[in-house]
Amino acid sequence: MKTLTQIPLGTRVLFGEAAKKRRRIERTIFSVFEAWSYQEIIPPIFDYYDVFTKGMGMELEDTLYRFIDREGNILALRPEFTSLVAKSVATRLADQPKPLRLCYCGEVLRYETPRGGRQREFFQIGLENIGGENVRSDAEVILVAIESLKKLGIRKFQINLGEIGYFAGIVERIDFSREDLSKIKTLIDLKDVVGLKSEMDRLNLSERRQHIILSLVHLTGDGSVIQTGRHLVSNEKSHQALNNLENLYEELKRHKMDEFITIDLSEVRGLDYYTGSIFKIYVPGLGFEIGGGGRYDNLLKNFGCDFPAVGFSFSLERLMSLES
Amino acid sequence: MSKPSLTFALSKGRLLDEAAALLKKAGIEMASDINSRKLVIPDTQGRFSFFIVKPVDVPTYVEYGVADVGIAGRDVLLESHADVHQPLDLRIGLCKMVVASPKATAKRNYKDLSAVRIATKYPHVTTEYFTRRGVPVEIIPLSGSVELAPLLGLSDRIVDLVATGRTLAENGLEVIEPICDISARLVINRASYQIKRKSISDLIQLLAAVIPA
Repeated sequence: MKTLTQIPLGTRVLFGEAAKKRRRIERTIFSVFEAWSYQEIIPPIFDYYDVFTKGMGMELEDTLYRFIDREGNILALRPEFTSLVAKSVATRLADQPKPLRLCYCGEVLRYETPRGGRQREFFQIGLENIGGENVRSDAEVILVAIESLKKLGIRKFQINLGEIGYFAGIVERIDFSREDLSKIKTLIDLKDVVGLKSEMDRLNLSERRQHIILSLVHLTGDGSVIQTGRHLVSNEKSHQALNNLENLYEELKRHKMDEFITIDLSEVRGLDYYTGSIFKIYVPGLGFEIGGGGRYDNLLKNFGCDFPAVGFSFSLERLMSLES
Repeated sequence: MSKPSLTFALSKGRLLDEAAALLKKAGIEMASDINSRKLVIPDTQGRFSFFIVKPVDVPTYVEYGVADVGIAGRDVLLESHADVHQPLDLRIGLCKMVVASPKATAKRNYKDLSAVRIATKYPHVTTEYFTRRGVPVEIIPLSGSVELAPLLGLSDRIVDLVATGRTLAENGLEVIEPICDISARLVINRASYQIKRKSISDLIQLLAAVIPA
């Protein structure tokens, strides 16, 4: 028998200064969330398996802690908060005035190899803005994220801002199989231009399409990237995505926050539920992003209630690992 | 002198001389002898700070951002599943990952064996390769001299890297099937790629221009 003192891989205990630091970070961030009128929601730690798998994508689905109750229902421990918040809004808060501003903090569980400062149980703090007008609520959640970081004393950070619709518009009309699309996405994500070229040759993609996809890998930089992206493609969906992104960027500029923003159209990875703007936050000196989020306009439909929504979360472990 | 803009992890051993030669062709030279015992070496222009670590550790240093960039063999990248950007195949450190077997039993079919016993430094790659083909394997993880395992009866087969095939031949082994081509890759930490974009894209361009055809 294993000794009672052994700990399961992926868990940890916080005490002393570490515990104090964690609570201090939580309080600081919550004070910012509150000032922006976000109210805390405390969802359950487990729910039906299907609640989490709707729209989350295979990558995360494989990491779920699943179990079966005595009636034979499949349940899962929460791997993220957004699905639970969406479900609660659809079932309990649908008739409240919009936008609904909700925030949360707590543990999430994923069965994966502990890495990047995260265990199998790790902590997220974040918020969701549900039913709000597109650009304004996108800008709002980014402004809240920026203010939270500043309040924590983190002065240097970079927010990579993209639009999922741009890439979606590009690949929509190409007849890819699921495997081919996922291969292409992986190569874009690795930034492997040479591998991408030979894979697209194998798939007999036209020269124009190859040019677009290869250019995509480097579509990162200041506001001018939006214009570059526009000249590259002609399809409606990608242009619509860029219009959204431009409006959002202009809105952030009005708040004089564009110094923190890098436009990044090369990001193709992420949870499947994102439908519009997406962003990731990086801090110099840390090898992993400390948080991120995006727009997910179709998720609430799964729960029978059609509201657009946007949100983000920080990884508390990673915030803690930054020197204050 | 300002702080070096990029920290650079290099693999100790076989790959080191080839990597240093490639960097030199790209105009990046180490300030002191790479084969000295020093662990951290700057380049002559103060742009990089190199450290030389065990090959299997390069992806780890880069994934965690302790090194912004690194040069790592595809073998260790496949084995580690490190979450890093891999923009360039540097075409150095060329070899193949193969399944090899003693000559006497090379013709034996997998179907005759209830489970193949395989000694390797690459347990993940090996398991994935065989289970995808429906062949049950028993992995014997070793960290060196893998060719010895079948000679001493520790395993039926091995999965290892082969460059010239000489070591295999000298130990009475032969290649029975290739798994994949191996070469060294430039690897980049995801956050560094975003935050130090200018220095990193300069480096990629410099190296891309000197990759052997």
